[in-house]
Amino acid sequence: MTQDAEYEPRILGFLCRWCSYAGADLAGTSRKKYPANIRIIKIPCSGRIDPLLIVRALRVGFDGVLVSGCHPGDCHYQTGNYRARRRMSITKKFLEYMGVEPERLQASWVSASEGGKFAEVVTEITSDLKQISPNRLFSDERDGTKAAQ
Amino acid sequence: MKKIKKQDVPALLVKWQQDFTVFAPSKKSGVSRMEVWDGQDTAFLDRNRNTVIPPKANFLLNIEKMFDFRKEGGSYTLEPAGGEAPRQLLFGIHPCDARATAIIDMVFKDAYEDNYYLGRRRNSVLVGMGCTSPYDSCFCTSLGFGPAEAADVDMMLTDIGDAFVIEEVTDKGKELLAGAEGVTEATADDTKKADAAKAAAAAKVTRKINVEEIRKRIPLSFDDKKFWEKVSAKCVSCGICTFLCPTCYCFDINDEMLKSGSGARYRNWDCCSFPLYTKMPAENPRAEKWRRVRQKVHHKYAFYPELFNIIACTGCGRCIRQCPVNWDITQILASLPAGAPAAAEKK
Amino acid sequence: MSETEQKLRSEARDLLEKGRVNHIIGYEAGSLKFSTTPLITSDKEDTDRLVINPFINNNLSVFLGEVGGKAGIVARGCDARSIVSLIQDKQLAREDVFIIGVPCGGIIDLDKVEKLTGLDRDEIDDIAWQGDKAAVTIGGARKEFPAKEVLTDDCLSCEPPDPREYDLLIGEVGPLVTDGELGRSKIKELEAMTPEQRWEFWKSEFSRCIRCYACRQVCPACFCNRCFSEETEPAWISPLPRWQDNLVFQAIRMIHVAGRCTNCGECERACPVNIPLRSLSKKMEEIVDELFHYRAGTDKEAPPLMAAYQPEEAEDFIR
Repeated sequence: MTQDAEYEPRILGFLCRWCSYAGADLAGTSRKKYPANIRIIKIPCSGRIDPLLIVRALRVGFDGVLVSGCHPGDCHYQTGNYRARRRMSITKKFLEYMGVEPERLQASWVSASEGGKFAEVVTEITSDLKQISPNRLFSDERDGTKAAQ
Repeated sequence: MKKIKKQDVPALLVKWQQDFTVFAPSKKSGVSRMEVWDGQDTAFLDRNRNTVIPPKANFLLNIEKMFDFRKEGGSYTLEPAGGEAPRQLLFGIHPCDARATAIIDMVFKDAYEDNYYLGRRRNSVLVGMGCTSPYDSCFCTSLGFGPAEAADVDMMLTDIGDAFVIEEVTDKGKELLAGAEGVTEATADDTKKADAAKAAAAAKVTRKINVEEIRKRIPLSFDDKKFWEKVSAKCVSCGICTFLCPTCYCFDINDEMLKSGSGARYRNWDCCSFPLYTKMPAENPRAEKWRRVRQKVHHKYAFYPELFNIIACTGCGRCIRQCPVNWDITQILASLPAGAPAAAEKK
Repeated sequence: MSETEQKLRSEARDLLEKGRVNHIIGYEAGSLKFSTTPLITSDKEDTDRLVINPFINNNLSVFLGEVGGKAGIVARGCDARSIVSLIQDKQLAREDVFIIGVPCGGIIDLDKVEKLTGLDRDEIDDIAWQGDKAAVTIGGARKEFPAKEVLTDDCLSCEPPDPREYDLLIGEVGPLVTDGELGRSKIKELEAMTPEQRWEFWKSEFSRCIRCYACRQVCPACFCNRCFSEETEPAWISPLPRWQDNLVFQAIRMIHVAGRCTNCGECERACPVNIPLRSLSKKMEEIVDELFHYRAGTDKEAPPLMAAYQPEEAEDFIR
């Protein structure tokens, strides 16, 4: 599909409160420039991520989802990010098998001091998502009633 | 009695398509159910076994929009959905499913007239087809009718090989056949063949229940916790037997909200086997599995007859055939205890 | 009655008589042709009805959570793995279950037989193993089909078919015909598609779903007290059976049971609208194996897949 020049992907970011959220904060306070395509939800730990949250974000129309937590070894709760990593890798492969483009699921390790990296990550995934179509996975012109008739 | 050659049926369906959306049994979606006729498929003229999804799905939709609501300031405006129900013709409905529809009509036009359901019923024509190959799970003949029953349809077709003998049942049925091409008067020989086909079909229904005995025993079983625990042990509390039951009519109501406070109200099938049944307004009074299984059986064989003087089961056998654990209502009914439990054994 | 059946009945009776178990969970003949049905009993007389045949298709471990007391359970390879998985997840104590392992030569897929013969199962007179062939009798005429053509896909790629965790093993483990590649042929077809095609495929499949939840209810790995699909605040998915929500439900269910699902195939078999759920569960098994070399229910001492981690794990997808 050819891309509309205007297409601005909508990205939902789940950021762990200890590292990545602070990293995003730092990106802001240090006036790093990054695309405004991301909306951020602060989660207590990347280990909080349930694949349900990711799929739900796609279901309601976000073009991509970013899950970001502390670097391996740095988790505030010791192991939350390792657990998130397992869940993410399974979810990503499985959803790809179902037909979800891999670009829609993104993950990163961003520490509290990596404001620059956060800006880069958002820049990169925004550009990745611009390479693929807007999320029409769940769109359906049919009204439920008509479909059932 | 009329008659139509099988080869002339497609033309008749095409004619009916001018006034109706014509439905016929089909497996093209991956499961057998009533499907909008595509103008091509004629497999159901020769082989028409009971569909997995019952035709009740055409009257009681699994997704029915009831109305839209719009929030304006502090009040809501309601806009009923749909308007006039679609005119539909169900070709090839079996007597058990037609009877089931007649049975649930009673509840939908009882104290409260349910116009979502009744509107669809009013605008529908049922063209019945006698069942020539009942499943081994079928037991319709025990319930006061049989695989050739014509009472609940507008016209009834009986397969006599290369043609159908047509019994016109209602005025609607007569009108639909009037002047139709290919429809002729049936000869005495045709009706004789049809009678033989009907008798042969009825003889194929070998599964039986003893309704008289059940009517006597079922009220006594209500307090028999031990019995119900035993017969419910293998139930997994899924929704197959109720969703696929042509006489199960429970529905749940859900609102789909938009951010603005506006949205739409829908209803969809619900099931008394679900542990969370009626959880939304309050609690499920039947927390334990045996109470839910008892409810299911009693609703069909005790409560419904009390209310409407008819058993809410037509022996279509779907609940037996499709059950993942082969929970068999005919076995349960046959094993109902002859007497009430002793006081000490009550719940 | 086979020797194995005879032995099973006497052992089961003995277990109840000696009070070693409170219940026996096994299979008895069903009320339809080629069907079996779960037999859950504490009455030793009932043990005379226990059967073992190529149609014992329920994964009985789904009942372990609700019988109470100690249960003696008839288990095939996949069931035994489910039991181990439940133990790993602390849903069950090993000492509360007495596993009666039975040899499994594979389950005959009646849908495949129907396709091969063009008839429904109740129109077939007899199906029986003749060596490594299934002899199907219809109206007096006998047709033989190679085992590979009639075994369920799950059985074709079952590993291992014999129970590895048991208290008692009855009978010899028969020669099971396996053909993993054949068993995953649907998955191969899907893998060859583009993402758009795959999505369209699943969209179409899930359009039929009526949300009866049979897939979840027959699944031993689905042991949550309350399923996410039934949460109302927030409602993660709509209760209406729209394809979108049907698809989300099943995708999440599959991800939630990753590492617990032993590919017994019950979900697909139970599905009244024929959604090929096994093509999801089997693929998940492959993903889990490939990424973490983990196979569900093979080691009762191992922590559950999702409760474990290795500091060094593939993370090439993480920026």
